[in-house]
Amino acid sequence: MAAHAAELSGHEQAHGHPSGPKRSVWLRGSFVRAAWVTLLFGAVGALGTMAVRKYLFGYPAYSQGVVDTFTMALVGLGFTIGIGCWDYWWGYLIGSHHWEQEDHSSHGAYSWKDYFRVNTDHKVIGVQYVCTTFFFFLVGGALAEAIRAELASPGVQYFAPSTYNGLFSVHAALMIFLFVVPVFAGLGNYVIPLMIGAQDMAFPRLNALSFWMLPLGGIFMLSSFFVGPFDAGWTNYAPLAVHGPAGQIMWIMGVQFAGASSIATAVNFLVTIVTMRAPGMTFWRMPLLVWANLATSTLVVLGTPFIAGSQFLVLFDRLFPTHFFDPAGGGSVIVYQHIFWFYSHPAVYIMMLPGFGIISEVIAVHSRKPIFGYKLIAMSTIAIGVLGFTVWAHHMFVSGMAPWLRLPMMVTTMLIAIPTGIKIFSWVATMWDGVVHLTTPMLFACGFIFTFVIGGLSGVFLAVLPVDINVSDTYFVVAHIHYVLYGGSVFTIYAGIYHWFPKMTGKMYDEGLGKLHFWITFWAMNFTFMPMHWLGLQGMSRRVEDYPAQFGPVNFWISIWAFVLGASTLIFVYNMAYSWWKGEPAPANPWRALTLEWQVATPAPVFNFDEPPQVVGSPYAYGHPGARHAIVTVHEPEPEPAPVPAAVALAAPERREVVMSSFKHILVVANQTVGGERLIAAVKELAAGEPSRVTVICPQNDPSDAWVVNEQEVAAETRQRLAQTLEALREAGIEATGRVVDRDPYTAVLDVVESADPPSEIVISTLPQTRSGWLRRDLVERLRDRTGLPIQHIVVDVEPGRASRT
Amino acid sequence: MSAHAATLGDGHAAPAEPHVSAYHKSLLRSPVFLGMVIFLGSEIMLFGSFFTAFFYIRFTHHPWPPPGIDVPAAPTSINTAILITSSFTMHWALISASRGKRFGLVFGLFLTLALGLTFLSLQIHEYVNLNFTPSTDAFGSGFFALTGLHGFHVFLGCTLLTIAFVRSCRGHYSPDDHLGLEVTGLYWHFVDVVWILLYTVVYLL
Repeated sequence: MAAHAAELSGHEQAHGHPSGPKRSVWLRGSFVRAAWVTLLFGAVGALGTMAVRKYLFGYPAYSQGVVDTFTMALVGLGFTIGIGCWDYWWGYLIGSHHWEQEDHSSHGAYSWKDYFRVNTDHKVIGVQYVCTTFFFFLVGGALAEAIRAELASPGVQYFAPSTYNGLFSVHAALMIFLFVVPVFAGLGNYVIPLMIGAQDMAFPRLNALSFWMLPLGGIFMLSSFFVGPFDAGWTNYAPLAVHGPAGQIMWIMGVQFAGASSIATAVNFLVTIVTMRAPGMTFWRMPLLVWANLATSTLVVLGTPFIAGSQFLVLFDRLFPTHFFDPAGGGSVIVYQHIFWFYSHPAVYIMMLPGFGIISEVIAVHSRKPIFGYKLIAMSTIAIGVLGFTVWAHHMFVSGMAPWLRLPMMVTTMLIAIPTGIKIFSWVATMWDGVVHLTTPMLFACGFIFTFVIGGLSGVFLAVLPVDINVSDTYFVVAHIHYVLYGGSVFTIYAGIYHWFPKMTGKMYDEGLGKLHFWITFWAMNFTFMPMHWLGLQGMSRRVEDYPAQFGPVNFWISIWAFVLGASTLIFVYNMAYSWWKGEPAPANPWRALTLEWQVATPAPVFNFDEPPQVVGSPYAYGHPGARHAIVTVHEPEPEPAPVPAAVALAAPERREVVMSSFKHILVVANQTVGGERLIAAVKELAAGEPSRVTVICPQNDPSDAWVVNEQEVAAETRQRLAQTLEALREAGIEATGRVVDRDPYTAVLDVVESADPPSEIVISTLPQTRSGWLRRDLVERLRDRTGLPIQHIVVDVEPGRASRT
Repeated sequence: MSAHAATLGDGHAAPAEPHVSAYHKSLLRSPVFLGMVIFLGSEIMLFGSFFTAFFYIRFTHHPWPPPGIDVPAAPTSINTAILITSSFTMHWALISASRGKRFGLVFGLFLTLALGLTFLSLQIHEYVNLNFTPSTDAFGSGFFALTGLHGFHVFLGCTLLTIAFVRSCRGHYSPDDHLGLEVTGLYWHFVDVVWILLYTVVYLL
């Protein structure tokens, strides 16, 4: 593989995209082919179903439900075939020759167009997932704003009641099945294979198929507005669902496609995590996001079939009709809720566990401390997964189910607070006494803890039987679900996107806009959903368009803040889009994280790793001197002749050569001690006697004595100290240039040593042994071994060093 | 991929075996096999949701089965025997493949496929001659949903078997390399086991 990849990458550099056999645009997998194949399959589905009904069974040809169902199933199949998900498998099936040699023609993105076709690269699929799901997030958000506009005052304003029912049903369905569940699949897709040191997912083509089934589900759900919106709420309870308008079928088919996509991805994750971890990556060395995805995928594999089953049964009740949920025919309404919630309560953890994983990563990295209670967090993840299957009936306390089920469900529900509490306390303990960098991802992580605790506590309220009976189907439930899904899941999604944005796009997002986004979102979110608790306790019913006039002012307040919340999302979208387009190039490891995805270049190479990395330790050993998570071997590309700057070459090539050979080039490496008197004296001494040039680099590290670091402030101070140093050297008649460089002093020095203008001597200035982070990491010895250059080590005491910090 | 190149053999082997680091080779037979096992877990839960509905209705519904409904338990025992036999022929085909015996492989697959199709035909025959429909009663709903879901899985299994049969006729499998066959076999055994449970629950009890 490695040899193949190397050969391939050489090939790419020469010819760009590795190309498969070229065919006409009508025939190769593309949106053009998808369009005509989808139409063809849709027509075959509709006409074929009608023909079978008429000629085989002798029924009237058209029956709305049956024809719709089969048409949509074939439209879905036709789209995935047309776009090209099945090409390889079809070739394999008919023994066509071109599957024998995988040409990787559908792997990796070489231009923006590659994001719009079937791609088997997990990184491309990850980005495709995130962008698609955010599209549906915005659509679902627009529906929410429509709901809030209607609710801004009592009475019926803008929407007919049936349309209003459709609005909240489609809003919830999109947010759950097309945003929160799949966006985690998208982030996981990008990050998990990199994190475990794999070259891709276990089944890349299945991965592509999973992705392309997803938008179908969303489009089906949205198009239900055209045929009469499904209006039974996202829970689609049976008597309503069976007798509801035609849009019900579109929702059912949408859920089946989204669910199939989800299951396929989960199987893929499980196999990938079990079989493709790098050497040394034992289960207890996996980053917690990988643990979270392991638990989530298990829940998806075992839970999602239950919602598929429940929707199949509803479909049968509509089409044949069967009598599963029809008491007149011997069926039972309650059984729908049992089957539905047996999936949909674990689904709550499907929507939350990956978020927990993201938070564990973000908090450890941005607090520069090992995660507190690694094993407990991992095991509590599994515990939540197992307990999640034992609590489903707490959604049914008022449904008339068997009374003996109530107490056990109440107890198991409250038990879930224990593993969740373990996580919360572990995160807080991780931050305690850490060096907290309040970057945007970290802000969202902290905001998440705050809001999720509120949502979790109202969840415990709801678990308590008497409280639940009192507030069932009121806005208290709406407040709870939005605190855990918006304040919980969505905040973790934001944290994850900001955290991995530099790796995914190769660009840095705008930190200022990110912080603005956080603060507006945080306050608007709390102002929107907090008053709903009160409304619920007062008895305002959810899912009803009209409400008593006494709730008018509070609802108006909520609507205003809901609009602000919506507007804050636009800041995020702008920041992401603009930064991706024109942002600053991001370094490979801007957060100095230890996990493997940050140890590869940015953006990540097509096959991730040249060789399987060797994992040697914990992924969270922040602050431990010399600790390493893994050893990554990068194959150096063929050396190219260093380009000579045209201007220099034309102007005075000979003189340049003289300068290079006769001047002594001293490299000074210092951060907090730059500007220190002893350092300047030492450089002067070293430069005395012969013509010298000095390059000063400041790897901008964190002050080792701070708890909370404001990046901009530290950077400004560093630049100031650097300017003072250069000034002092110039006064002494030494030609000096300087710059603030990447955080890791080791790589920063190597960059200069390996540049076209290497130094002849190096001066490293540090704090005394007890306080120097660099010395703890053996910087001087490691550089001496690596460069072979004379290195002078100067110890500057804090006070003289700090004296010039004014 | 090195794993891919290694399995090419006669040029028609498993499709693009994912790269597994040597460190994990000992854990399992192959990612594809593990993937199928996990997928079958999902299938079990899908059948589980249908069984849940069936049991729930059964225990809230008296008498069971409702009067006037004849469940053809005895004739269907033939169908059950056919499906169980097909599991043995499938196993025979698999053993033959791993021992390099071509006749057993091809003929075993042929028998399995023929038995599977016979099962489906008898099932359709049964549907046509029942004295109840899915709309008669909740029992009929459960009966048709469960047997129909299972029948659909038999149909999928027959599709896989057809592919495996054609490929075995073309000599695509070797003793070291017949992963597609193993996965098909696993799926077929699963379909068989589900039927035994289903027959017991729906027809006998």
